[in-house]
Amino acid sequence: MASLPKLNEKYSMFSCITDDLETKGFRFLFSAKDNLTSKDMETRCGSRILEGYRPVFDATAIDRMRKAGGKLIGKNSMDEFGFGTFSTNSAFGVPKNPFDPERSCGGSSGGSACAAALIDGHISLGVSTGGSICCPASFCGVYGIAPTYGRVSRYGLIDYGNSLDKIGLISSDPNKLTEFLPVISGKDPKDPTSCAQPEPGPKGRKIRSAAVPKEALESISKDVRSSFESSLETLKSMGVDVKLTEMPFLKYAMPAYYVLASSEASTNLARYVGMRYGRQDGDLTLKFDDYFASFRSEYFGDEAKRRILLGTYARMAGFRDRYYAKALKVRLHVISSYKKVFAGCDAVLTPTMPFAAPRFDEISKMAPVESYSADYLTVPPNLAGMPQLSVPCGYDGGGMPIGMQLVTDHWAEDPLLTFAADWESVFETRRPEVSP
Amino acid sequence: MKIGLEVHVQLPTASKMFCSCPTADADTPNTHVCPTCLGMPGSRPVMNRKAMEYGIMLAKMLNCEVSDTVWFSRKTYFYPDMSKSVQITQYDNPVGSGGVYSLGGKKPIRITRIHLEEDPGKTKRVGDQSSLIDYNRSGIPLAEIVTEPDLSSPAEAREFLKQLIADIRHTIDLPDGGERSIRCDCNISVGKERCEVKNVTGLRNVERALTFEAVRQTKVLKAGGKIDRETRRFDEERGVTVSVRKKELESDYGYIDEPDLGIFRIGELAKSISVKESPLEMSVRLSREYGIDSKAAQQIVSTSVDLAKAFEKIAAAAGSAQTAMSWTAGVISANWKTFETGGGDIEGIVGIVKRFSDGEITDVETGMELKAYMTGTDIRTAGDRSSGLDQIIEDYLSAHPEIISEIRKNGKAVNRIIGHVMEETRGMHSSSDIVSAAKRIIDSKI
Amino acid sequence: MDRETVEKVAKTARLALSEEELERYSRDLSEILDYFRILDESPEGDGVGVDPVEIADIMRDDVPGIFMDPYELLRDMKTYENYVRGPKLL
Repeated sequence: MASLPKLNEKYSMFSCITDDLETKGFRFLFSAKDNLTSKDMETRCGSRILEGYRPVFDATAIDRMRKAGGKLIGKNSMDEFGFGTFSTNSAFGVPKNPFDPERSCGGSSGGSACAAALIDGHISLGVSTGGSICCPASFCGVYGIAPTYGRVSRYGLIDYGNSLDKIGLISSDPNKLTEFLPVISGKDPKDPTSCAQPEPGPKGRKIRSAAVPKEALESISKDVRSSFESSLETLKSMGVDVKLTEMPFLKYAMPAYYVLASSEASTNLARYVGMRYGRQDGDLTLKFDDYFASFRSEYFGDEAKRRILLGTYARMAGFRDRYYAKALKVRLHVISSYKKVFAGCDAVLTPTMPFAAPRFDEISKMAPVESYSADYLTVPPNLAGMPQLSVPCGYDGGGMPIGMQLVTDHWAEDPLLTFAADWESVFETRRPEVSP
Repeated sequence: MKIGLEVHVQLPTASKMFCSCPTADADTPNTHVCPTCLGMPGSRPVMNRKAMEYGIMLAKMLNCEVSDTVWFSRKTYFYPDMSKSVQITQYDNPVGSGGVYSLGGKKPIRITRIHLEEDPGKTKRVGDQSSLIDYNRSGIPLAEIVTEPDLSSPAEAREFLKQLIADIRHTIDLPDGGERSIRCDCNISVGKERCEVKNVTGLRNVERALTFEAVRQTKVLKAGGKIDRETRRFDEERGVTVSVRKKELESDYGYIDEPDLGIFRIGELAKSISVKESPLEMSVRLSREYGIDSKAAQQIVSTSVDLAKAFEKIAAAAGSAQTAMSWTAGVISANWKTFETGGGDIEGIVGIVKRFSDGEITDVETGMELKAYMTGTDIRTAGDRSSGLDQIIEDYLSAHPEIISEIRKNGKAVNRIIGHVMEETRGMHSSSDIVSAAKRIIDSKI
Repeated sequence: MDRETVEKVAKTARLALSEEELERYSRDLSEILDYFRILDESPEGDGVGVDPVEIADIMRDDVPGIFMDPYELLRDMKTYENYVRGPKLL
């Protein structure tokens, strides 16, 4: 605990660390992505516009972790409101990859994965809208699960896309995922979307068959391909029947996701107008429209503005049918297509990301579309509300971790957790060398 | 002239639409608030079942088709009193649509839709410096009723609203004075293009605003001008409408679905909710079923729906609708308020009229007993005060002898006698009884 | 997306963009919308698409209650006599 501030100076995985470093009386330590409200720590979502927001309530997930004996040690840095793949769109420190500080942790739950990789036995809460748990888990060489939409109450989650956001867990130890997912899951009368979930199924169900979409292997790097292929061999030796399948529906998931996510985001971000919470230091003698516009332009970051514009456009009368309404119907198509796949196998298997963690200088040269398309494997299950798991499955020539993603049908988290524990016994995970 | 209304009615739930904050008036601003109605980041809405039920009741009252599956939408607009800059409302699949509502039992007014939404907070204007917001109202459930432009005059619009409010009060059991303010957006066109007068409060102002608009538009058109499609505001003090801005385009709202609430399969719920007969429907039915004059039926229903119910019981007991009607419209109606306040039992009244129709008691005795029973006074006092209609008229005539010659010149002067007797006997005698008694007495004096 | 459209959208979203931003977002958004074009050819599914899993009929009883101190809620807000202060209206 004492070395935490120093460690953070180097890796920036926390945007805020608790003042009270006393850990006596707590069963375990945990951290939470900074879009989950916490009573004792400022919650800023990686955005300057929320500077000074001191929530009066804990997010249900945080509350349940505390009640289980956990101590919240800090809030994890993240892309502003979750908008990003590399956690570089953060106003309060960009987390550095534990395996190479010149490289990204992934995003948008980059700080959560970074903390999970750096701190022994740590568990962190992440949030996934378009793969934001699996991506950083893959880049940081740790285990991450984003359960079914509605499994974990979103009360206290500062919204990105309400029909997509899923709260999940990241840890270097898969048994922690098994231990803590039931802690944060369950119905919560404060979030109606958590109240339709069935009880978890019987424990210990194994994944016996998995389908690998051909489309997934089209644009992955050489290193990712070789790690993934050798993992398939390991899977076969574990008794998992793996088959290659065509899943043409996957290609529609990305655009549908970006339309829905940015449409919803643009309405969620409408509330930030320099009143009531966060920064409120504008000139109130301005006419309200001008006040709002000047305030929002000043304090929203570049990517936030881009998504607000995109989302506002996609839901405007005249364009709404072509984009927003269409994307809803495409999502229904993606969901029913996944269901057909799951009628014949237990899981869909892909690499998590098409490449290992890129360097920051490479990221800064990427056009928006380029960085958006890096999520083409993690977005489809998130669009469909399916549970998704990323496990480390290899390392490239430079020692950077590579991840593999498993997706199961709605509400079938348990086979994923069982798999993660089994995988740990056959795959040798490396830990980063930490020098504060 | 075409007028269409968008009527906003606050629903009388005890808690707000999406949070448990009380809807009751508060002494201090921003005390009936919570993270949800303040739109704080991380808060979430949870639907109030009662608000949904009220919505269904009103949809049925307006003869709308109630959708099987409904959900909510987000309407984005930026204003200081809109805490999330998003209003949760209904866009696709509102609770009811395609209804018809009969104005005065005659003219059908088409109802486009009825949907549920949340009220914004209230803004207090202060000088030029800044605005002050009270979010106590934020999140109070509203039903918005949208009509087709089927109303043809400001007076008719007022009549429509008056009847609508009475029916709503009756349907959702609002206590007297329990209704909150009615707010209307009024669309009116004299020529081709329409204007919308936003947020007019109260019946009288709706009529005033529409009348002003009708005159204004007519003048513009007569002078060869063109009406701009625009939003206007009604200045209550000056009684005029003023342009506020070009009509905010529907496209600016950018409606999307509200995922936080899920969907509502209300088909079964809607079937289980039956809507009470509205006052208007009741008077139409009474007139038809009992063969009584429609004006008289309307009269007793508008006095009180319970009085009309009493009439039905009396008619059944007396075996004659005419007998029941003459007692109901006369002495029973006259003493109804006192009776209702005292919380008396209607069976007593039924019993007295039944004894009359069985021939057990006379006309005068019945009147005395009813009055005594309903007012809780001693029968002798009641009797004293009504000691013969003739006596009262005689006394009045000897005190005011000039009335007889006035009546000969102008029959309407008999109203003075009616007024006096009504006052003296607290309405125990019907005006027709008084007139015939007065005629008989005056004739005998010649 | 042309500059004019970006300007209109920005106004609707209450963003005041600089010349440089208008230029850049116009370029970015055109690229992104191009990338979305594939949506047009996607098959469509049936049903209600509000949420990815069915969430139906979750409602609460109409029971009023105040669970948080309203003064605590206003703690960090700019207020005047317990009103929340906002910008000028007209």
